[in-house]
Amino acid sequence: MGFLYTTLMFAAIGIIASLCARICCNKGPSANLFHLTLVITATVCCWLMWAIVYLAQMNPLIVPILSEGE
Amino acid sequence: MAEHGGCFPPMDLFRSEPMHLVQVIIPIESARLTVSYLGDIGLIQFKDLNSEKSPFQRTYAGQIKRCAELARKLRFFKDQMSKADIKLSAKSEAKAEFNLDDLEVKLGDLEAELTEINGNNEKLQRSYNELVEYKLVLQKAGEFFKVAQSRAAAQQAEVSSEQAAEESLETPLLKDQESTTVDQGKQVKLGFLTGLVPKGRSMAFERILFRATRGNVFLRQSSVDEAVIDPSSGEKVEKNVFVVFFSGERAKSKILKICEAFGANRYPFAEDLSKQAQMIIEVSRRISELKTTIDAGLLHRANLLETIGQQYEQWSDLVRKEKSIYHTLNMLSIDVTKKCLVAEGWSPVFATQQIQDALKLATIDSKSQVGAIFQVLHTKELPPTYFRTNKFTESFQTIVDAYGVAKYQEANPGVYTVVTFPFLFAVMFGDWGHGICILLACLFLIFKEKKYSSQKLGDIMEMTFGGRYVILLMALFSIYTGLIYNEFFSVPFELFSPSAYACRDDACSEATTIGLIKTRDTYPFGVDPAWHGSRSELPFLNSLKMKMSILIGVAQMNLGIILSFFNALYFRNPVNVWFQFIPQMIFLNGLFGYLSLLIIVKWCTGSKADLYHVMIYMFLSPTDDLGENQLFANQKTVQLVLLLLSLIAVPWMLLPKPFILKAQHNSRHQGQSYTPLEGTEESLQVETAHDSHGHEEFEFSEVFVHQLIHTIEFVLGAVSNTASYLRLWALSLAHSELSTVFYEKVLLLAWGYNNVIILIIGGIVFIFATVGVLLVMETLSAFLHALRLHWVEFQNKFYEGDGYKFAPFSFALLGDEDE
Repeated sequence: MGFLYTTLMFAAIGIIASLCARICCNKGPSANLFHLTLVITATVCCWLMWAIVYLAQMNPLIVPILSEGE
Repeated sequence: MAEHGGCFPPMDLFRSEPMHLVQVIIPIESARLTVSYLGDIGLIQFKDLNSEKSPFQRTYAGQIKRCAELARKLRFFKDQMSKADIKLSAKSEAKAEFNLDDLEVKLGDLEAELTEINGNNEKLQRSYNELVEYKLVLQKAGEFFKVAQSRAAAQQAEVSSEQAAEESLETPLLKDQESTTVDQGKQVKLGFLTGLVPKGRSMAFERILFRATRGNVFLRQSSVDEAVIDPSSGEKVEKNVFVVFFSGERAKSKILKICEAFGANRYPFAEDLSKQAQMIIEVSRRISELKTTIDAGLLHRANLLETIGQQYEQWSDLVRKEKSIYHTLNMLSIDVTKKCLVAEGWSPVFATQQIQDALKLATIDSKSQVGAIFQVLHTKELPPTYFRTNKFTESFQTIVDAYGVAKYQEANPGVYTVVTFPFLFAVMFGDWGHGICILLACLFLIFKEKKYSSQKLGDIMEMTFGGRYVILLMALFSIYTGLIYNEFFSVPFELFSPSAYACRDDACSEATTIGLIKTRDTYPFGVDPAWHGSRSELPFLNSLKMKMSILIGVAQMNLGIILSFFNALYFRNPVNVWFQFIPQMIFLNGLFGYLSLLIIVKWCTGSKADLYHVMIYMFLSPTDDLGENQLFANQKTVQLVLLLLSLIAVPWMLLPKPFILKAQHNSRHQGQSYTPLEGTEESLQVETAHDSHGHEEFEFSEVFVHQLIHTIEFVLGAVSNTASYLRLWALSLAHSELSTVFYEKVLLLAWGYNNVIILIIGGIVFIFATVGVLLVMETLSAFLHALRLHWVEFQNKFYEGDGYKFAPFSFALLGDEDE
């Protein structure tokens, strides 16, 4: 559940960011497409990294074993 | 020429600008002005139509010589100005319409004047120094004589009372010389010479004098306190004033020669006291006169140099511009019969209107009867690559170009590099404390942008400043990955929710043996803070980061292959789509895409399957039962199918393509029994098509070997490149370990002593270590590895990179070349 929720949040942030890019620097269709590509690529990269780390911790096979004297 | 079938709208920077070969025919009278206006626009790359001619045979060689002469004069001025410490004033915005002839005359006059002033100055300075030395001689020698005289007088008073002759050296001689009244009998005529000798050579001087005259001279030296400027050499030398007494002409000539050899300057000295005083007054007067003259001269020179300094930048710009205009004019081919110049060059299609406007303007301004003719030529030559970058994308494009300039209109990896390069850097660097430090540093650079871009910076500073936007993105992504890895100078924080792990029981008895247990929901953003410092931290993080590297690597390589698909679509190359793109996708995803899927499934289900075992035995014994390594139903069948598909993919990408290419070549050249004649470069013939290859060669064996190499590279590369992405894990581990060491072994250790001094020392060591090792060295290291991943693993899936860069004739770019 937490996974889906946060994925949707990432998607929403991505959409908002592309809208902001479109509003702030509207310089013609080819430039707009370029900015959109950049925003989407950044969103996908960030989501990918978060998703990997989250999935790896969902069903852990090993647990933290504290070291002596902590 | 541009055969593109894009089903997508065009995207900035994705493909290089469409270029065409243009031909401009310019009448001679407006040639210079036309080239000047074209240089202002800066969007044509002229081809050298006179490449067989040597520089001296070209039409405008004489003009270039004139410009070179002017440049030499300007360099001379600059030299003089720097010697006199006059600053060059900044370029004024006034656009003075200077004629080259006027400038030549003006610079010639200025040079003559300056040389004259310098010469006069030198002469005056020399006289001044001589006079100063003379004054010193007068003073010091006068002292000898005065002292000696007073002693002589005293001696005289005593000699009458005492018969013993004192061994004072001065008195007998002077007695002989001065008091001729005393002893008329022995009138030995003594001559003397006075002068200055350098202190370092004074001992040698004395010795040689003694030897040469067999001891028959008397030398008296007295050193001068401060160094004087030697008239001939112009340097400050420590000197001694000397008086040498001798008798006889032979001795005199010997002494003169020795003085000359030692560089001792001689000055006349009058014996008479009153005359001495007169001379001193006279010399002092002349010295002060000369000083005022010299000062006036220097002031005049300074004024002259000031006026030069104000206009220097403008003049040097003008000379540079003129020189480049004439170089360009030399590249155009001249058609003497038709009294016009023909220029050929590459220019982007979007610039057509601008160029035509410039041509019209030049025609009007030069009052020529005939206008310039502009037309587009059709050619099969490969145009240069031109990307219209702004200050943000320029640095990323430079990174891509450093590996190889994109072939004309192939997909530009720079578009994705803008995001993926800082992202991969950040994966290897992840620490939001360090990220903030780097962010602050580059924000400083960006705020001072205007100031630094007009200054001349050192090499390293220039590179850092040029890459400030790259560093900005790197810092932002590092902050993000730092939050995900949960490292702030290696310290984790519970920022988003309490840790998911807790003790099994209240006493936490088994925390150090079996470990904690996951009680709450997964930590929502990033690595759980409970891991840091635990004993099982490394096994967990290693597993996480290695799998992350594989997943990111497979994703980026897939992106690369998809870009090759878009290239094939654009260049209308179905062979590449069916017989390269599809088998490559099948191979890579059948094996490593499947591995990525297994990783995700294992994480989602929490299965204990051993993925190494699964992958290896998928190849070794694919029909075996998976047993406890089973992750999903029918896994064995799926694996068999994937293995078969991958095996088929290899000959699929190797064999068909060469045969198809051969068939295509045959069908293309079947109807052509006659190949078109190689046209000579009659550039004025408008209809000439530029055919750079008349007859295409097709060597089947060559094509086959090429395809074989390509296939082997891809197949083996699939394994090696995927493994290469593990450097993401390796560097990120190194970074976090270094960070931990510095924090725990330096800062915490210093804190433990409870002593302020040790704390301060520890703090300083921590700061230096962090900045030097982590912020500088690790940054460079991660930068380099991210670069390698892009250049090799990403770009070898689709990038050819054998184009050449567009280098237009532009005045704006001139300034970068020269200095």
